[in-house]
Amino acid sequence: MSLEAVARKDFQDAVRSRWLLGLTAFFVLLVSVVVYLVRPGAGQTLSTSALLGSVFIRDALVTTLIPLIALVVSYNAVVGERESGSLKLLLALPHSRADVVFGKVVGRAGAIAVPVSVGFLLPGLVAAIGPLSLRPGTFVGYILLTLLLSAAFVAIAVGFSSAVASNRLAIGGAVGLYFLFVPLWGAIQFPLRLYLGTGGGPSWLPIAGSELLRLLRLINPTGSFKIVSGEFVSGTLFAAGQAGSETAGQYATQMEIAAFAMLVAWLLVPPLLGLWRFEGADL
Amino acid sequence: MHDSYGNVCRVTDGLPKSKAETGGIGRYMAAIELDGVTKRYGDVTAVRDLDLTVEGGEVFGFLGPNGAGKSTTINMLLDFVRPTSGSVRVLSRDAQAESVAVRRRTGVLPEGYDVYERLTGRQHVEFAMRSKELDGDVDAVLERVGIADAADRRAGGYSKGMRQRLVLGMALVGEPEILILDEPSSGLDPAGAKEMRDIVRDEAERGTTVFFSSHVLGQVESVCDRVGIMREGELVAEDSIEGLREAVGGEEQLVVTVDAASEEDLEGVRALAGVSSAATDGGTVTVSCESDAKTKVIGALEDAGVTVKDFSTEEASLEDLFLTYAGGDGAAAAAKSDDGGAAATDTEVAE
Repeated sequence: MSLEAVARKDFQDAVRSRWLLGLTAFFVLLVSVVVYLVRPGAGQTLSTSALLGSVFIRDALVTTLIPLIALVVSYNAVVGERESGSLKLLLALPHSRADVVFGKVVGRAGAIAVPVSVGFLLPGLVAAIGPLSLRPGTFVGYILLTLLLSAAFVAIAVGFSSAVASNRLAIGGAVGLYFLFVPLWGAIQFPLRLYLGTGGGPSWLPIAGSELLRLLRLINPTGSFKIVSGEFVSGTLFAAGQAGSETAGQYATQMEIAAFAMLVAWLLVPPLLGLWRFEGADL
Repeated sequence: MHDSYGNVCRVTDGLPKSKAETGGIGRYMAAIELDGVTKRYGDVTAVRDLDLTVEGGEVFGFLGPNGAGKSTTINMLLDFVRPTSGSVRVLSRDAQAESVAVRRRTGVLPEGYDVYERLTGRQHVEFAMRSKELDGDVDAVLERVGIADAADRRAGGYSKGMRQRLVLGMALVGEPEILILDEPSSGLDPAGAKEMRDIVRDEAERGTTVFFSSHVLGQVESVCDRVGIMREGELVAEDSIEGLREAVGGEEQLVVTVDAASEEDLEGVRALAGVSSAATDGGTVTVSCESDAKTKVIGALEDAGVTVKDFSTEEASLEDLFLTYAGGDGAAAAAKSDDGGAAATDTEVAE
């Protein structure tokens, strides 16, 4: 299959990049540090959910660093080949431009899976021998969800990379997207939460203030990820009959489904938009 | 000097070359059909109203100086760029709507490409095979283009010539029905350029249509059936090389070695019918004339009291021919090289 051929080639190419090697080492180091920091005292054990739910892993590592790594590895996926001319080699072979865009998403997402998996598994294994009472199912599931998050950011970056004509625009776009989704989103959400969460919001809003907050959280892939992964780690993902318990940091099943669907949408919509521009471009 | 120009168009002997010879059926239908094709970039017209047909099984040399629109035309065949107007068909399919199907049966050596620096030569060819959905002998391909010993090295460390060989190897994967080669000899040394021509000949003998561009005449003339010459986005000539030579006048150059000759001695020669020009440096007399005027030229020189020691004739130089069509005003720099015995003199036309 043509898409598979592109994805395989791109994976082979990307895993050999020094960037990826460096990121793997960096990620292993960071997760190791976190595991060390949250280690329990003598005689105690630490549960998997406590580890994965910790502010270090969830906020500092996964939702801050994973988007960055994904954008760095993918921003030049298409436009880099377009500028160097290797895209001509790719398109001289019988691939459609759609195969190229989605093959790139698959290939780069696969390449990122390497540092992310190694980064979690290696320290995880070490800790499991020690004081950490690891639930392998939860741990592996969490890694898979993390890969879904990174794939969503790869898709965003590849979509952008397909739409623009120069590497410089692609770098600018990647930086902009990162600041939008990671620091800026959080910065906007915090005052909004204070304002909307208490008073219910201005009357001209068609939806209630709390609804708007939920929407904001949902639209950002890192927000969706926090919802899905949090529920997964605490064992309540897609579990029925928990409506109303949202105050306890838990979400209704509807919200979980919406968050999951949102992640999948991020996986598909940006590459499709990028492809739409790429299809019309003269190379 | 130019005696090597005797060998032209000697490749596809025995192969049907045109619709007339095959009855217009089978794989010898038109391989490439451009009909009224124009490509504009903003206010720059890269290709203007181009009509061109290349028959199946033909070796077609696409000539012209850099910037004449050759690569733009080739990029339209491959759907890298889209024509502003006109229709492009390759192997009887629409080059844009059915581009994947076209490229499945086409081998391409594009211009301005880059290899994947981190992948080995072997991985490149494997990728080409997987893309064309076939299993093949990777080593045989690399062997054929002469880089088998570098198969497991990263292509990023390859020289320009090795990259060119690698991409040619990728183009040959899957026995394509048509080979599209954009400046195939660039980056190759003379021996490599000769190997390239040999591969083109082998492919042509197999029945493959070959469409290749060059700004170097010597690489085209010894392998082609026909050539087209582009200039400023337009096709200014389309013929066999012999045909072009005739069109330019079919004159010969007569070089006469003499004891001593002056300008006055040439007056009688210049007056002869069929002589277009004559010049001397004292020891030799050079005359451009029709071939049947040669005897009269020698006679006229002897009548003027000049002793003729020796004489030789040359056909009109293809270099001149090419420049007549492509170069315009002689703003051309000629760079010559000998490629080791084969019939070629490289004529480069400055941009």
